[in-house]
Formats: sequence, C-alpha cells, structure tokens
Amino acid sequence: MTVKIRFFARFRELLGTDIMTDVEEGTMFTSLITMVAKKNPEGYAAIFDENGAFHEFVILMKNGKRIDIADAGKTAVVDGDEIAVFPPVAGG
Amino acid sequence: MFSEQELERYKRQMMLFGEEGQERLKKAHIFIAGAGGLGSPVSMYLAVAGVGTLTIVDMDVVAGTNLNRQILHYDRDIGRKKTVSAEEKLRELNPDIIIHAIDVKIDESNAKKLVLRADGIVDAMDNYPTRYLLNDVAIAQQIPFFHGGIRGFYGQATTIIPGTTPCLKCIFPKAPPEEEFPVVGATAGIIGTVQSNDVIKYLTGIGDLLTNRLFIWDGMQSHAEELCVERNPSCEACGGIGKNAKTGKKI
Repeated sequence: MTVKIRFFARFRELLGTDIMTDVEEGTMFTSLITMVAKKNPEGYAAIFDENGAFHEFVILMKNGKRIDIADAGKTAVVDGDEIAVFPPVAGG
Repeated sequence: MFSEQELERYKRQMMLFGEEGQERLKKAHIFIAGAGGLGSPVSMYLAVAGVGTLTIVDMDVVAGTNLNRQILHYDRDIGRKKTVSAEEKLRELNPDIIIHAIDVKIDESNAKKLVLRADGIVDAMDNYPTRYLLNDVAIAQQIPFFHGGIRGFYGQATTIIPGTTPCLKCIFPKAPPEEEFPVVGATAGIIGTVQSNDVIKYLTGIGDLLTNRLFIWDGMQSHAEELCVERNPSCEACGGIGKNAKTGKKI
C-alpha cells in the first residue's frame, strides 16, 4: 500500500515533501516517519530526539486530523493516507 | 468625522468598506507585539489603513543584521531603540493616527496591563514563550489574536477568536527550541501582510477571517496552502471555555 508524506518548513528543507512510500500493512506512524527521515541524519535529528522519540513540538496530522505524538507509535497507517509533519515556525 | 486629508488618504479603500468601515478602523486600537520582521509590515499597513490607535511594543535596539527584513528601520537607525525608530516612521506614514511605542520586554508581570482593552493583538514576536503569554491574555480578555511566524522562506499565520477557534496552544502545544533563525525579508512581508489583512477585515466586518485554518507559505515553491485546525477540548490554555466553532455548542 502507498502513503504520502508531506513535510513542512524546516523539515521540508531537509527531507523534501510529497514523498510517496510503499509500506507494509500494519506499519505504525512513528516507524514510517523514522524510516523516511533517516535518509538525512540532519532531518532525522530535527524530528526525533536521541531516543528515537518525536521532539515534543512536532505536529503530526493524518488526512487533516491531528495525531498526538504519544499515539503515533500505536497508530497504523492505511493505504492512501496523507501524512503531514511540521514544526511550529517561530521567527518574527 | 474625517478631515479632507483623511478622506483623500482613505478614498481608495472606502470604495471597499465605505465611510462606516473607515470609522471602525479609526475607532480601533490594535496592539502589535514586536517591531521587527513581522511588526514592520503589520504596523505600516495598519498605520496607512488608518487604524486609529496603534500600540507597538519592543525592547530591542536596531542592529545591522535586522535590516534585511525589518523595513521600519533604516541604516541610520542602527543603535537606536526600535520603538523610537518605529514611532518616527509610523508618524510619517500617517500623522492622523495615534502611536504608542513602548520600550519594554513583554512578560507575565505586564502583558495584561500593556494590552489593556485593545481590539486585537498582533503576534509579531520571535519566540513561543511570549506568544503563549499573549495567547493567555487574548483568552482572558476575549481579544482576537492574529498569529504569524516565519523562518527562512517559510511562514504561517492564523487568526484566533478566543472561545470560538483553536487558540495557539491548541495548534502548537509545545514550543520549538529557540534559535537564530534564517530569514528573507519577503517572508516577513508576506506573513505580516496576511496578518494585517485579517485585522482590517476583522475591524471592518468584511470577508472571511483566517480562522480554524493555518495558512502555510512555502516561498521556495511560491506555494500557499492551509491546514484545518481544531480546538483541543483539553487545551491547557483555552480548554473548556466558549463554544465549538462548527456546532455552536459549549465545550
């Protein structure tokens, strides 16, 4: 099955966006983002901490609905999902 | 009542919202938190639009590194207080409005007092802790909060109506780490203008506000889009107050 990952802002600079990925059924949200982010160590470090957990400020959405990062490890993605991963933009 | 000078100055926009809309702008008081990258276009556009009273708060001195984006400040202003520079430029842009430029750091002890009974708070800050503080004041005082943020070629904006729309903490519950962020002036121009645009619509009562939506600008792709955002009923800042935007029911 195929899902689409959309990164925003700083994450987009480091990892690109609109990434179509083939994944096995039952793949969890966290493992999917981990797999894609690992393509760029800097991108990975921007999203995950040294223990492999999402930084607490990371915002996740699945098909326009918010996913709590605490639930991302037990939420499976399904075919056709569009996943958004973004940081709060802080400058002014 | 407007002077001849004012009628001439505002002629082109009164074609959009009439003298009544202009009167609403004139009676309004907008609080702008920050006289930097976002605060520059926000304050300039609100000044020339004729918002009657602008309070602009900043604690910094103009530095050379500000000048690529903070268009309120000129080369000659390096070393001067941003509030002094801002007040001077805004008065020149529109001598018919009142400018309060306050040189202070916004913190827990003064935020509420500074905002007073403003009709809107514009977020032109560069950090989340102060944004959260202003978000709290906006909720407590039931004042609309016009959020903007920029980094590099990217930006975001949303309009928060306390008790109705998601607040800043509903959307971004945790602050990102502070950093010296890269940025081009045009990004500040785009997001600051989106914020000013919503303030003008809010005050004149026209159009649809940027509520329940996060506007996202990607300047590298020259692409804008929006994400729907929702209230968090257990939000530590606004949870439990007001009503659901869609159903109108109390939450």
